[in-house]
Amino acid sequence: MKRGLVVLDSAEVPEQERPGRVARLQQRLTDEGVTLGLVYADVHRSDDLGYLTNLCIYWNEGILAVPAEGEPAFLMKLSPRVHGWMRRSSTLTDLRSGKGFTALVQGLVENREQGVIGLVDAALWPATAVEEVRAAAPGWEVRPLGGLVREQRLVPSTAELDLLGRAAAALRTALDAGTAPDLPDGERIAILEQALRGAGYTDLMVEVVHGPDGVSAVEVTGQYRFGWLRVARLVAPHAGVALPSWAAAVQNALAAARGAVAPGVRAAAPAAAAENAFTTGLPSGAVLHATVVHQADLSTGGDYASPDEELAPGAVVVVGVEVLFPDGGRVAVADTVRVGVTGAEDLDAEEQHA
Amino acid sequence: MMLKGNDVNGADDAEQELRYSRVRAAMAENGLDLLLAYGPGWRRENIRYLTDARVTGSAALVLVPAAGEPSAFSVRPADLGVIAQRGWVTDVVRLDFPASTVLVERLRDLAPSRIGVAHLELLPQAIADAIAAGAPGAEVVSATGLLDDARMVKSDWELAQMRRSAAVCAAGWQKFVDVLEPGLPEYRIVAEVEAELKRLGAEDNFMLIASGGDEVMGMTPPGPRLLEEGDMVRTELTPQMNGYWLQICRSAVVGRASDAQRRSFDLFNEAVEAGLSVVRPGITAHEVAVAENDVFRKYGYGEYCTARYTRVRGHGHGLHLDETPIIEGNHTVLPERAVFIVHPNTYTPIAGYHVLGDPVVVTATGYEVLIETERVLFETPQGVAA
Repeated sequence: MKRGLVVLDSAEVPEQERPGRVARLQQRLTDEGVTLGLVYADVHRSDDLGYLTNLCIYWNEGILAVPAEGEPAFLMKLSPRVHGWMRRSSTLTDLRSGKGFTALVQGLVENREQGVIGLVDAALWPATAVEEVRAAAPGWEVRPLGGLVREQRLVPSTAELDLLGRAAAALRTALDAGTAPDLPDGERIAILEQALRGAGYTDLMVEVVHGPDGVSAVEVTGQYRFGWLRVARLVAPHAGVALPSWAAAVQNALAAARGAVAPGVRAAAPAAAAENAFTTGLPSGAVLHATVVHQADLSTGGDYASPDEELAPGAVVVVGVEVLFPDGGRVAVADTVRVGVTGAEDLDAEEQHA
Repeated sequence: MMLKGNDVNGADDAEQELRYSRVRAAMAENGLDLLLAYGPGWRRENIRYLTDARVTGSAALVLVPAAGEPSAFSVRPADLGVIAQRGWVTDVVRLDFPASTVLVERLRDLAPSRIGVAHLELLPQAIADAIAAGAPGAEVVSATGLLDDARMVKSDWELAQMRRSAAVCAAGWQKFVDVLEPGLPEYRIVAEVEAELKRLGAEDNFMLIASGGDEVMGMTPPGPRLLEEGDMVRTELTPQMNGYWLQICRSAVVGRASDAQRRSFDLFNEAVEAGLSVVRPGITAHEVAVAENDVFRKYGYGEYCTARYTRVRGHGHGLHLDETPIIEGNHTVLPERAVFIVHPNTYTPIAGYHVLGDPVVVTATGYEVLIETERVLFETPQGVAA
């Protein structure tokens, strides 16, 4: 859950960058003939909102309203008591609280000329919220839109890439400690929680998962400011004991996937490279599959992403190989990398920050 | 103490039978021939209740027909084995979002006439469209309340899980107090507490925090603010053990407490005591809230019990951390074995926002406080102000 550091710092992201993101969305809305764009957010999936405004919605749900012209407003079911904190930690000035979206949207559209309301990422909106918007705006056309904000988030800005690099460096150090041999699972998680939340991560999910032959994996998914990373490493049963051949082959599969990352390739291509590279037999009944998930989709684990999407140059993606065992066990290896001109690049590599 | 989530046995067959018979009785009472429990990433309590499995996908569903075997769906492949391995639901299928053709086909086969959807209010448009396509003639109604009611009365097994959460609450609070010192940023407090909770086996934790003086109006995620001598640091810690959340609410002072902070504690403690004093089987959430708020009204602080300054006077616990609200106007009956926290947390001008509360289970004759942490105003280094 989002219970780590939330901060708005113009030294990290220049003051004009977020208004620029809103302006680009407004241009897209205008191009689509939309008068008022609405972006839904809940505590599980709120990165569009964070990207545009730096607002962290740590509980409940809300709608960011972005008119084609003018300032955005945030409509929420949270109490006005938190408005002060929201103003301090985001770029928003127009905050509106209420018990339901109907009255909030009514307040938004009254005194405006009727037009077109666009629902960003409409397929993921709760159907009842869509009904509330329709009920609140009779005479307006309500139109589904695709991921107009996500498309901006696919390639991080220089400032975002710096933050991701900082986060990756902290993660690398913490993971070295958290994957030391012969630690209890809870201790591994505690080491990573202490180090990464202590380094300023906002959200963190650390899992220690288990496969056969005593092999474990430590998987860390974290959010630093509004960028996401995931790294997973295998852990041998004991100090001095080598990983079994199938586990070593899983690591080789990850290397093959990384090697296939390149601008313009479909997300499915590195995944296929991993699966093709895996020639060692898995334990009976196990299934291996590889994925490439954009960091922009990591709050939902890539559950809604398309494997057919091409990797944009400069995008940051998670390359992962996962093995599922018939007893419900699982191990995984993963890296978060930048799609460089010549292939996958580590986020904390010096060339990123030169 | 060394508690590990992985060491916990899952609920047994009797627990499964208890839950499904309870849910199916409620379905019959409500004229439902099909129940669909939807679990988005932040509201998975019903999925866990019906599968006893910890899923991680962004969207999962459990389909319970009035008769016959249930089915489960998730957008995440790793969930399928986890659910199947628990064995409560063996028909487990990957949900092909957004088309959701597997759900459409299942509904066509079952041809229900009245479908209850738990968390209908959160159901994505794409899945709502799939239900309409698979069961075009069916009436679709909300079953959120149906499952909320089913989950409210805890079994012995569930109470055992919540007692484990209570032990971790206490340990988490102790760590919180131990690390407080001038110069420490808020987010580092959270890092230390999170580490302790996870070390003890917590799956997750919900935690808000606030530090400072009488200007503090509420709690939020942590910021970079550095603690100062005399700050009151408020928190609600809510660890989740084997699915079950439980909360502790306390405040601590960095250094020695001021007279105002002590007076604030006395007011809030009296309100907690008043709330607890009325708890018995059959009491309503409204009546508990009134008992708490009457203390504030008695001393002339009634306006600080309104939505301008506070949210709720407590809330239920279980597989969701924020179940039925303890608030004036909520006439939900709290039966024996319901678990909730009594916390009159609010702002007053005495010493700013104050946080204090204990979770309880309703017993046959009254209540039992589930945590052992003293209800006092803590001072650091470790001490007690009031």
